[in-house]
Parts: sequence; structure tokens; C-alpha cells
Amino acid sequence: MIKISAKNVDVFYGKKQALFNINLDIEENQVTALIGPSGCGKSTFLRCLNRMNDVIDICKVQGEIVINDFNINDKGCDVVRLREKIGMVFQKPNPFPKTLYENISYGPSIHGMAQSKQEMDEIVEISLKKAALWEEVKDRLHEPGTGLSGGQQQRLCIARAISVQPEVILMDEPCSALDPIATAQIEELIDELKKEHTIIIVTHSMAQAARVSQRTGFFHLGELIEHGLTDKIFKNPDNTKTQDYITGRFG
Amino acid sequence: MSEAPHTVKSYEEELKNLNSNIVKMGGFCEEALVKATQAIISRNSDNAETVIKDDEKIDKYETLVEQQVVNLIALRQPMAIDLRETVTALKISSDLERIGDLAKNISKRTLLLNENLPKNLTEALIRVSSNVQKQLKSILDAYLDRSSAMAVNVWEGDEHIDDLTNLCMQEVIKYLKEDEKNLDDGTHLLFVTKNIERIGDHTTNVAEQVYYLVTGEYLEGDRPKGTEPIVTGEK
Amino acid sequence: MNKNKEKLLAKRYSSEKRFQFLGKSAIFMALLFLAFFIFKIFSTGYTAFQKTWLIVPVNFDAETMYLDANPSKEDLEDADYFEISLQSMFNLDKNANEKQQNELKKMVSYFFEREIKQELINDPSLLGKTKEIYLTASDDLDQVFKGNYPRDLPEKQRRVTDYQLKIFDQLVEQGKVESKFNLSFFTYPDSREAELAGIASSFMGSIFSILVCLVIAFPVAVLAAIYLEEFAPKNRFTDFIEVNINNLAAVPSIVFGLLGLGILLAVFQLPRSTPLVGGITLSLMTLPTIIIACRASLKAVPPSIREAALAMGASRMQTTMHHTVPLSMPGTLSGTIIGLAQALGETAPLILIGMVAFVNTIPGSPMDPAASLPVQIYIWAESAERGFVEKVSACIMVLLGFLIIMNLFAQIIRHKFEKKWS
Repeated sequence: MIKISAKNVDVFYGKKQALFNINLDIEENQVTALIGPSGCGKSTFLRCLNRMNDVIDICKVQGEIVINDFNINDKGCDVVRLREKIGMVFQKPNPFPKTLYENISYGPSIHGMAQSKQEMDEIVEISLKKAALWEEVKDRLHEPGTGLSGGQQQRLCIARAISVQPEVILMDEPCSALDPIATAQIEELIDELKKEHTIIIVTHSMAQAARVSQRTGFFHLGELIEHGLTDKIFKNPDNTKTQDYITGRFG
Repeated sequence: MSEAPHTVKSYEEELKNLNSNIVKMGGFCEEALVKATQAIISRNSDNAETVIKDDEKIDKYETLVEQQVVNLIALRQPMAIDLRETVTALKISSDLERIGDLAKNISKRTLLLNENLPKNLTEALIRVSSNVQKQLKSILDAYLDRSSAMAVNVWEGDEHIDDLTNLCMQEVIKYLKEDEKNLDDGTHLLFVTKNIERIGDHTTNVAEQVYYLVTGEYLEGDRPKGTEPIVTGEK
Repeated sequence: MNKNKEKLLAKRYSSEKRFQFLGKSAIFMALLFLAFFIFKIFSTGYTAFQKTWLIVPVNFDAETMYLDANPSKEDLEDADYFEISLQSMFNLDKNANEKQQNELKKMVSYFFEREIKQELINDPSLLGKTKEIYLTASDDLDQVFKGNYPRDLPEKQRRVTDYQLKIFDQLVEQGKVESKFNLSFFTYPDSREAELAGIASSFMGSIFSILVCLVIAFPVAVLAAIYLEEFAPKNRFTDFIEVNINNLAAVPSIVFGLLGLGILLAVFQLPRSTPLVGGITLSLMTLPTIIIACRASLKAVPPSIREAALAMGASRMQTTMHHTVPLSMPGTLSGTIIGLAQALGETAPLILIGMVAFVNTIPGSPMDPAASLPVQIYIWAESAERGFVEKVSACIMVLLGFLIIMNLFAQIIRHKFEKKWS
């Protein structure tokens, strides 16, 4: 089933066009990887999906992005509601400089998802368990989140993102700052999470895209060159640009 | 290969090296088949001995290719065309090695053959062999040129070889029936014929690999087969 | 070729050595000046924290004071102490003529009558008895006792007469002169008499000014900084404002004094010489400093924190108030304290708005006239009496101490809270 459908999406930074006519359907409960060289627009596209580009004054998004039969680029779309439904995990682990507990409880508290302390405790526990972090941190929930290792911090950020039960999780190069073991833990986590969430991951590592995703989209110079099943893209891509990129021939 | 070279030059060189090793190996196999055939026709035991000796070279190349492939997979993690290149190299090399073995077997038997074989027998044998040689040559060219069309041609040509083999076998069987004295030579000839046919089969395998290498897809449908062979078995 | 290279290398090393030498000597020079300055201040100023007392026997004779045997508290307050005070001074030399008696009287501060009165009020049982009482010595004798006053000058050029010196030396011999910690320097307001002058009024004036300044400047500056940094669109107008805030920080302080004079006093008719006006004027000066500090520390909050909050569905306001502002607070606070420390040391604008007036009462609120510490230094430095010289240094010491404590506080805030989250 198609969860997100982007139709003719153009993005401009001032006068410079960053994305050209992107058409991409994202399947529900699958991991979709977006790959491409730096500056190709994959992160820009990802940030269109939860309207994080709004923060940038000069950024303009045109076209339709339909999630649950609703165009999020409509004027009537409430960004706060949208971001509750679409969580995001960033390149660098960015836990709030607060305690672990506060990190997780922040989202549910601003969205009024817990009526009591007990409910909140439950949400925190479930989120941490889903993020495979509970066992490591259950005894120090009230210590600062910045005291964790990089991989743990990133899993904390994932726990924070899933605390509001989003339907979609966007991940912007979530492992680029992590060592291989921490990366493997995150990848395993992504595999688990896709049962309940639709995941879109931007990654520089093609091996990672190949490992975690079911579908892959290749961006180049602001265009979506090719998208399709991951094994097809990595074994036998249709487009020579895609092939040149994933085999390391890019000039 | 794609037009653009790899960003990492040593990777590019490793792939080229692998490629050229396969081509060299193919060249040796061609030579072996040609010499083995000539040895039968011209009764030149020198040729036969060269083939037997040179098989070592082919075996060495196979080991070399295998090592290169393992290295590439372990160290370069090839993707897409490079992945197919690597994997097919491994498979082609093992087919070529078998071809080398079969040529060697032919030569061994040639040394034991009677000097005066009936002309019709040798002619039939040469017909099969030269067809297989042609197949082998064109599939190596196809590999070099990355031509899927040529690969398909070779693949389809196997049917004709099977037919020729059957004809040749019938001749040999006739020759066997003629005289009990012919029993030794006839049996050897049967195996020689069968070996040449097997070389044709391996050539067809290579054709399948080349097709996969170029297109990323497998050749669909049953492998072309000639009329049911009368005699089976090898070595 | 090789030789050339070696030459170059030697040149490189020697130029680095030269540079290091220059840097070290610059630091040495600065330290030398600082040491000299501090030595000068301390060597002249430390005596101000001591005060010379003359111990004089006083006879609390009820009759002379027109009191009956059992006076009420009001009676004691209203009684005439002048006569017994004078008498006790005259008793130091029973043979003194009228001129000498006058000189005797001037050996203590004009305050001596009140000191005697206070003694009796504290202990009414002294009535009719004689007790030795500590009386503040005149500023000149104070200086003599501290050794700051040259005795070998001809009498005409001295403010202390030979006769006064004779009596004083007698008292010293009898052990009737004592030096004690000068509490009155901290508790007394300003006075024309150096021995009675204290920094209480200017200290309180400074405190009130700084409080007013803080109350006005801090919220305004922080709100302005948050709006400009987090909410305002980036366009020419906001650029213009930013440039002007930076310019404002560079405006000479006396200009702010004129502003205070022209607007606060002339237009709004606020009371002159008060910490209220002083504080408002100083807040104008401090405003850009705090805005700049606050904006800088808001900028220093990593954008990833903002993104994290926004991506969680927090509104812009929530992101700012829950995350950015708390994180920027250590920087803002230390910037504020440094701004206030600057304001504390400011003299020129306060002189313009009249805080230079002589104030001999301790202000109880920002609406009362007051001086401030730097202005006090200025006033005393202008005074002729020798007794004020040490007071100037002492006042500078107090001001410096104040500033050092504030800066220390700023440092502590910065280190303690910033480290935790970095």
C-alpha cells in the first residue's frame, strides 16, 4: 500500500532550484532508502515530508505530497500535527540536554498524550524498549542524555521519535557518526521498526541502503533518476547514472 | 563495462585484470581444443602432449581467478555491473577449466588411437570439433565485447552441435560394429566425441553467463537440445 | 640549495622567538602597570580602614544637662549634651586659654557631642558618673597618628597647631589614643569632614542603580534578543536594527547621560540625583551589551537542538522557550553581569543626571537622592583635605572588590552551567 505519494515536487532555495519534478511513491511498512551524491537533494526531499524546510525562510516547496489522502503542502495543514505523525531522526545524535526521561517524555507531553505520571512512565519504557535501549539505561533514566555513547544517543533519538507513535519515521543519515557495531544495532532496529512504521532513510552508505531497505531511490542533481526494488537497483539498475554511482564510477 | 572509469583506479585495474585473465584462459582453451583436434587428424603426438602439459596452465589460471574474485568481494564489495562481472568471472573460469580438462582427456586418448582411422570418421569428428571451436571463439569474443546478441547466437548454436555429435556417434558405432578389432579405437573415439560435445555444453554455460553479465537477466527457456543422444557418459 | 634552506629555517625560528619575546614583554609591561596600580591603591588606601579614637573621660553631670535624677528616655534625648561635651574636652588641659580651648574642641570631630549622647542613651545608669569614652579624632590628628602628616612643616602651613600636637602627644603617651577598625567608613554617608565620611550612601546608591538597571535592561534586552534571533525575518530592516544595536554599544557613555538629562529629568520630570534616573540611564547603556551577549549565546545553541524540538512537533514558541532560551541562559547571564559591572563603574552619565550632588543621608529607596561609588571617588578626589586621599583609594578598593566579585560570579555561571551540556 502506498503511504506517501509525492507528485511533481519542486523545491527552490531562493532562485536556485534544488529539486526538479520529483514523483515518488513510498510503500507502507517498508524501508525506502534515498541515495545519491552530496548535494543531490535527497535530504531536501526528506525534509519536505515533514515540512522541516519551513524553517528556512528562502525555501519554497511546490507540488503535492500526499500522506493519508491529504496534501501536506496545503495551506490548511497543521505542521505540529504533521510532525506528530511523521517523526525524524537526524544525522548527528541530538538528544536534548536534559535527562533521558525528559528526552522521551517531551513529545508526548507537548502533544498531551499522557494523562498521568504512570502513563508517561509507560510511554517512556515502551519507547526505550522499542529502541532496544531499555536494558542499558533503565537504571539511569534521570541522568543527562548527553552522557550516553554516540550509538546510544542515536537510539535515544529514535526512542524519542517513536514516543509519539508516528506513522512515518524519517532518518537523515542516522549512522554517519557511528561506529560499525552501533550502526549494525541501528540497522537491526530499523528492521524491527518497519513492522509498525514506514521508514524513509537517507544514507551515504550504499551498502547500508542495500542492507536495510526494500526500495531505493537514486537522486542526482536534484532529480530522482531511478527508483525501485533495492535488489534490482543494486544488481541491475536501469539507468547508467545509477550504475555509475553505486559502482563508484561517478565523475 | 560502463564507459566511465572507477574513481578508485586500483579497483578499476583489478577488474580489468580479472577480465583479461578470463580472456587469456579462454585463449588457452581454444588452443587446447584446436591442438587436440589436430592431433587426431594429423596423428601428431607432440601436439597431444603439449595439450596435456598446458592444462596445468589453465588450472593455474582458474585458481588465480578464484583468488581474485574472493579478494574483490571481500575488499571492494562490488555492486551492480561490477558484481555481475565478478560473479560471472568465477563461473566462467570453472567452465573453462572443465573445457581444459576435457581437451586434455581427448589428447590422452589420441595417444592411444590407431594411426589409420577411416576418413569418414575423422571428417565427422572434425565437423563437430570445428563447430565447437567456432562456438568457443565467438563466445569469447562476445565476452570481450559484452555482446548479449552474440551470446544468444552461441547459446542457440548448441542444438546444431548436438545434432552433429549424434551423427558422428552413429558413424563411430557403425565402425565398431564392423570389426571386433575396432573395439579399442571405437570406444576411445566415442569418448572423444562425447568430450567435444561436453566442451560445447560448457561453451553454452559460458554463453549464459555472458548474457547475464551484460543484461543482468537470465536466459529464459529450456536449453536447446538436439535429438536424444544414443551414447552418454564421459571420461 | 641546502644552505639556503637552513638559512630560511633559522630565520623562521628566530622570527618566532622574536615574536614570543615581544608578546612576553607586552604581558610583563601590563602586569607591571597593574602591580604598580594595585600597590599604589593599597598602600595609600589601607589606612582608611583604620580610625583613630581619642579616649576622653566624660562626666555625665545631671545638673549641667538640666536633667533630674530619674529622666525618661525622651528627657535623655532632649537633654543638653553640649556643655558636658565641651567640658570634657577642656578638661584635657585645665590651664588652657580660650584660644587653646577652641583648639582642644577641634581635636575631635564635630560629631563628638552625638557620640557622648549615644553613650548615655545606651546606658542611662552612667548619669552622674564619669566614664572614658571613645571620641572620633579629627581627620588631621587621624592622619598624624597614621604618620601621613608631616610634623616638620612650619606651623602656619599645617592645619594642626603646635598646641594640639602637644596635647595629642600627651594623650598618646597616656595610651589614650587608639586605632580601631573603621566601621563608620561603611556605615556613614558622605560628609564634609573626612573622619566622618563613609561610603554608605554611595554604596547603596550604586546598588539601587544597578538593581534598577537590571530590572529594566535584562527583560527588555532578553526579549529583544530572542525576538531578533529566533523570530524576526532576516531582511534589510532587521539588518539595520542589528547594525544599530552594535553601534549603540559603542556610543560614549556621556551621551547616555545627556539623554537621561534631556528626557528623564526634563521631559518626564523624574527626581534628580536619584538611583532611579541613574539606573534607567545605565540600563540604556547596558541594553546593547546584554542584547549582544544574549544573541551570541542563542546563536551558540546548536541548530540540531532546535531541529530536534521542531521535528517532535513543538511549535516555534515551544522550541524557543523549552530549549533554546534555557540553553542560552548561562551565556546571557554572564553577559548581563559583565554589562552591569560596566554600568557599575560608569561615572560620566551619573554626573550629568546630578548624582554628583553632596548627599549626607543613606538612601532608603531608588527615589532618594544618592551618589554612586565611582562618583564618590570623583567627589573625594576633588576635595582638598588630606583625610580624603586615603578614602579615595579605599573607595576604589571597594569598587574593585565589587567588580571582581561580579566578574567571578559571571565566570562561575558560565563554567558551571555551560560545561554540563556541551
